[in-house]
Amino acid sequence: MKKYLFLMLLLSSSYFLNAQSLLSTKSGVAKFNATGGLVKIEAVNNQVDCKMLPSNGQIVFALLVKGFRFENQLMEDHFNENYLESTKFPKASFKGYITNIATVNFAVDGVYKVTADGVLSIHGVDQKIQTPGTITIKSGKASLKSDFSVKLADYKIAGSYIGEKIAAEANIQINCNF
Amino acid sequence: MKKWIIIIGSILLIVAAILYYVFIYAAQYKRNVNDEKAIAITAVELVSAYNNNESEANTKYLNKALLVEGIVKEVGQNQEGNTTITIDGANDFSSVFCTLKEVIKNVEVNKKINIKGVCIGFTSDVVITDAFIQSKN
Repeated sequence: MKKYLFLMLLLSSSYFLNAQSLLSTKSGVAKFNATGGLVKIEAVNNQVDCKMLPSNGQIVFALLVKGFRFENQLMEDHFNENYLESTKFPKASFKGYITNIATVNFAVDGVYKVTADGVLSIHGVDQKIQTPGTITIKSGKASLKSDFSVKLADYKIAGSYIGEKIAAEANIQINCNF
Repeated sequence: MKKWIIIIGSILLIVAAILYYVFIYAAQYKRNVNDEKAIAITAVELVSAYNNNESEANTKYLNKALLVEGIVKEVGQNQEGNTTITIDGANDFSSVFCTLKEVIKNVEVNKKINIKGVCIGFTSDVVITDAFIQSKN
């Protein structure tokens, strides 16, 4: 009897794990910072689409480059027209897996360090990247944060900017609440 | 001598105007979709246009002001507290996702709505940003 009970428990627990459905948000935040000189070159995008599967760690981000808002309109126009060429390449995306998703217990509150492995696509160029992040579980709700840098040259992003200096590496911060 | 003063004076004026444009005017100017003439379209038409041919739809709608009509499917809030509205696109996988420029409390699900905003492209939804509600019932 005990054996069966144990088996049932095991089965139900595995069922519970599988039952964790897709986590998704359409209003994730991506912050971009490429300040090289005195003038800050910063932008925010509030419409990041993110889907994550807790069972295997599969993760997909998609964002639209024209959704980045700068404080300075001229800078925003340069960003779109000269650097990211957002009419030709409207989308940026990341597709991959969180490699250590097994260490995250979605039922227990806490901050879990994770690593994502996958392909980042910006400006029509695909690059394999590995990036650190954290998954925070708070009262049953998951959120995902990541902070990483990209070399603009890796994505063939080269423009000439008047007045301001743009950094060779841009810092990107992602924050998604599911 | 007088000629020189005029020439130097006008050069200085031009330089001042350029500096003003780059550092003050451009820094403050923001596109306001409310002042623009918008392309009127239903959410169902927009979603089907993007699902049928994304690049063709982009040439028609990307970065343009749109006035989208449809039925409210979902109302939410983004991390900055602004209201987000999902308009039904008669497609299980794809809708029109709008982020408003303001906080609007009394948007009801399943009611008809008209939203004006800038189309920034297609993820799995058609995304509209900097939007305003034009009319609702």
